[in-house]
Amino acid sequence: MRKLYLIIIILTGMGIRLYCEKITVAVAANVQYAFEDISTEFTKETGIEVVPIIGSSGKLTTQIKNGAPFEVFLSADTKYPEAIFNDKLASEEPFIYACGSLVLWSAKLKEINCSPEYLESDRIKKIAIANPDTAPYGRATIEFFKNIGIYEKISSKLVYCESISQANQYILSEAVDLGFTSKSTVMASDMKGKGKWTEVNESTYSAIDQSAVLLKYGTDNHPEGSKKFYKFLKSKKAVSILENYGYIVK
Amino acid sequence: MFEIKLKKRLSGTGGDFDLNLNLSIVEDDFISLFGPSGSGKTTVLRCIAGLTDPDEGFIKFGNKVWFDSVKKINLTPQERNVGLVFQEYALFPHFTVRENLEYALDKGQDRKIIDELLYISDLKELSDSKPQRLSGGQKQRLALARAFVRKPSILLLDEPMCALDRSTRRKIQIEILKLYKRYNIPIIIVSHDMTDVFKLAQKTVMLENGKIMNSGTFSEMFNKESDRKSEFVGEIISVQKNNGIYIFTILVNENLIKLSVSDNEIENINTSQKS
Amino acid sequence: MEILSPLWLSFKLSIIAVPLLLLTGVPAAYFLAFSKSRFKHIWEAVVSLPLVLPPSVIGFYLVLLFSPNGYIGSVLKSVLDVQLLFSFPILVIGAVIFNFPFMVNSIKAGFESIPAYLIEASYTLGKSKKETLLKIMIPNIKPAFLTGIVLCFAHTVGEFGVILMIGGNIPGSTRVASVAIYNEVEALNYNAAHFHSLILLSVSFIMLLILYTVNRKYKGF
Repeated sequence: MRKLYLIIIILTGMGIRLYCEKITVAVAANVQYAFEDISTEFTKETGIEVVPIIGSSGKLTTQIKNGAPFEVFLSADTKYPEAIFNDKLASEEPFIYACGSLVLWSAKLKEINCSPEYLESDRIKKIAIANPDTAPYGRATIEFFKNIGIYEKISSKLVYCESISQANQYILSEAVDLGFTSKSTVMASDMKGKGKWTEVNESTYSAIDQSAVLLKYGTDNHPEGSKKFYKFLKSKKAVSILENYGYIVK
Repeated sequence: MFEIKLKKRLSGTGGDFDLNLNLSIVEDDFISLFGPSGSGKTTVLRCIAGLTDPDEGFIKFGNKVWFDSVKKINLTPQERNVGLVFQEYALFPHFTVRENLEYALDKGQDRKIIDELLYISDLKELSDSKPQRLSGGQKQRLALARAFVRKPSILLLDEPMCALDRSTRRKIQIEILKLYKRYNIPIIIVSHDMTDVFKLAQKTVMLENGKIMNSGTFSEMFNKESDRKSEFVGEIISVQKNNGIYIFTILVNENLIKLSVSDNEIENINTSQKS
Repeated sequence: MEILSPLWLSFKLSIIAVPLLLLTGVPAAYFLAFSKSRFKHIWEAVVSLPLVLPPSVIGFYLVLLFSPNGYIGSVLKSVLDVQLLFSFPILVIGAVIFNFPFMVNSIKAGFESIPAYLIEASYTLGKSKKETLLKIMIPNIKPAFLTGIVLCFAHTVGEFGVILMIGGNIPGSTRVASVAIYNEVEALNYNAAHFHSLILLSVSFIMLLILYTVNRKYKGF
């Protein structure tokens, strides 16, 4: 009898542990909105809780390189996950989970467009962009400026934000006249209807291919949970969520 | 010339007491304010100077009212022309001797007086030195000289010689008299030293617990009973016996006195007992 | 040279902020040292507030106030057609705010160390409060001024959180050295980070050394 009790307790404990299993995922700022839906679905299916850590891809990469306890990393580009893989901090090669788009967004102005004349005009005093040094969307924005030949003229108007999140904050609070952010931001239900946005012409910037990578920390600490989540990103459910948020998934 | 009426509540070591003083001063007066420490002497000077306010009172110099608690008149220290020599000298450490005096000059005042005072106070050699380099006596002379620069209506000296040794004190007393005779300004000196009282002042006011106990000239106040033996306070340093006579060595105000006492006068006396 | 631009910006910020701090700090210190007001303790708490507040709180409220639709920002926009947020001038405003307690407390301590009799002697010699302040009090508390100035200078060069929030990290105008270093570390440009950090470290150390060496020569009253 005693032995039976012991087995039941151990199994329950394992079950509880499995149920209470928690994984930490580093999420590039632009994905945070889609991520909420994805992680909710994942938890429904597997019972595993997902804790997102949101920041700019560059900042998160630095933290990972310095031993941060993340299990999976969803970047806003491919370069950062590649760097992590080359540093032998990943268990598998990264894969592209989505392709993002750049949009121009303003909470303040009624009519907006992406033309050089408009952006150079005196009406536009401050433009928020994610810091190109650490955020791929910021990089793309600079590319766009250079390709339409206005970078020199408008560089004094630029406000460099820590991440897409901070750019969004400045845009929404009208601290700036307009800003450049991810399409997923304006597709998020909270933001829908706030201000006006327009897509930036794809040909003016290199495609924002976004890779995900499974980290060594994940396989070392939560091998099952982290791998499950990593795979889940490719699942039909996840893909349809991403597409709802304006990403292109190939 | 000066009419002073002061009332102020003060707190002392023995508890609270009321300062209550009425004083009339004429042009040539040299008054000493005498009494134990804590009796309110410094407060009187501060009230006259305008640094402290009496609770009630009236201060008038000539025709000008400096303070009137009823009519709510209270001139600032700057508006009264008072020369105050602080116990701590209050010399400005960042100015030289000469600059300390020059700072006191009123706008447009003739600078002659600076050299005059430097000469009278025998500080000419030291005019470019800073106060830190001066001896106690020199500092005192500078503090005095500075108080005279503006030819104040009244000069107030707050225990001016308490930090000096006896010979320096005598020199400063001469100094004060020199300046007094030259500039003819009424002076109030606060002191608990007897020699200040009888050497300098013609009138003495004795203050105790804030009230005037006695006033008058020195001889009136201290030599009242001429058949009384001299009384003074001293400390017995040693006793020697010599042929049935005891010789006491007593320290009185830095002087050593030898006193002989016969056998039958000795009763219940112990060494180092003050008596 | 672009790589020196953040260092120059930090230096420029300090050079402009410190005189402003003296102008605002000395009167405040005088009031706190000598006023007999019953509400003095409230003012003392207000002045010391930036010392204990997290920089993010100061930054947050500054962004709120100076944003084009904030209380101050909207007035500036409609009256002067200028936006201070994300520009160098707002860094100066921020610097004066977060350094205020350093300057005031240093000078206040200096004023409180002056023996009352020196001030009273000056008054009895017919000198006004202003003349006494300028000719007697200030010349005698030089170490306090030096302490205040050096502390504010060094603290401005070192400030990070507030500047990050209100500056917009704009190269050439608000990307001061502290922010530039943070940027470089994030972007994994360790060489540039080292360059700027070592210079800042050396400058800060030298300033402190000067402060303590000069103060050694001053004796008390």
